Amino acid sequence: MTKDGVVLAVEKRVTSPLLEPSSVEKIMEIDEHVGCAMSGLIADARTLVEHARVETQNHRFSYGEPMTVESTTQAICDLALRFGEGDEESMSRPFGVSLLIAGHDENGPSLYYTDPSGTFWQCNAKAIGSGSEGADSSLQDQYNKELTIAEAETIALSILKQVMEEKVTPNNVDIAKVSPSYHLYTPAEVEAVIARL
Amino acid sequence: CRGAATGSTRTTAGPAWPSPARTTAWSPPTPASPSDTTSSRASTPRSASCKADKCVIASSGFQGDIKALQKNLAARELLYQHQHNKRMSCPAMAQLLSNTLYYKRFFPYYAFNVLGGLDSEGKGCVYSYDAVGSYERTGYSAQGSGSTLIMPVLDNQLKSPSPLLVPARDAVTPLSESEAVDLVKDVFASATERDIYTGDKVEIVVINKAGTRREYIELRKD
Repeated sequence: MTKDGVVLAVEKRVTSPLLEPSSVEKIMEIDEHVGCAMSGLIADARTLVEHARVETQNHRFSYGEPMTVESTTQAICDLALRFGEGDEESMSRPFGVSLLIAGHDENGPSLYYTDPSGTFWQCNAKAIGSGSEGADSSLQDQYNKELTIAEAETIALSILKQVMEEKVTPNNVDIAKVSPSYHLYTPAEVEAVIARL
Repeated sequence: CRGAATGSTRTTAGPAWPSPARTTAWSPPTPASPSDTTSSRASTPRSASCKADKCVIASSGFQGDIKALQKNLAARELLYQHQHNKRMSCPAMAQLLSNTLYYKRFFPYYAFNVLGGLDSEGKGCVYSYDAVGSYERTGYSAQGSGSTLIMPVLDNQLKSPSPLLVPARDAVTPLSESEAVDLVKDVFASATERDIYTGDKVEIVVINKAGTRREYIELRKD
């Protein structure tokens, strides 16, 4: 997270050369000012993202304003523990996914990390998924509050590179930023960041 | 200075609530709501209520529906505060009121509302509604039985000349707080003369960045 916005980077884990890289979507837009990166059971994540999209649009409809990032995160986490309420919408298993929710609202840019328990934490920087311990400690060393977006991109990608087994190419990573609106990088833009590594 | 003034009139002298015979759906007590950048509005008896961060609603019409509507909005505002950890802004309340009214499109709240307050930039804002939630942000507004008497005066005093004129002029003539309050008092005094339902007292609410204050002005009691 920087003063100007938040950067999200994911490894796509393309398991076969026959796999179409653009079909692996691990960063999704929730609203114009909020995006989310996922790790775990991607299908479960899609349910949560869809719910978040509905909630943010409902908020815009009811109040004519964008939902704060914390409220969006809370709306997602409200779903996590819907067990044992009888028949209505009760689940048989938890959502097996962690999310990084990045957004920009009247309090500035913010980043939240959620896990299957429905707890969420606000972070300045976070890594999730396999290899996340190593990535987290690298982030602790390299992160500071004065970063620019460009520096944040470089740091995020270089840490991904450390933990990834394959070489970093525009086809097997995705980058997105929210500064102040959500933007998923085109392969050309990803290429430009890779070139700076 | 930026502020909002709300005036309201009591329909009858005496009882806190107008007697049922008077409070029919047909002839709402007079609310009127002039407002401009200093945002002054007038509202019906006992229906100016404080909501949100410097936002006041004034309603005229059927008191039962007004009470229900305002209680509903107050509850929603509290829920919003709990869920989002901040007070509701005036534009957000405006949208919420519109949706609440339209929700009962086929069995409406018989309430004619004016919402006034300060927007996120600290400027005065006034939103004027019909019974089913159609709303518009304006510089000034009047609703209720005296509105036909008050609105032309406000138009004359506050509205800009035609937008086709060159050079372009301001959308609404900006007034100072004291000018706005004086205007409210004058229009209510005039409306009281001819509208039988307007009179007794007017409650003027002024909202500016210093806070909110209320004034009660006596009107002709006949």
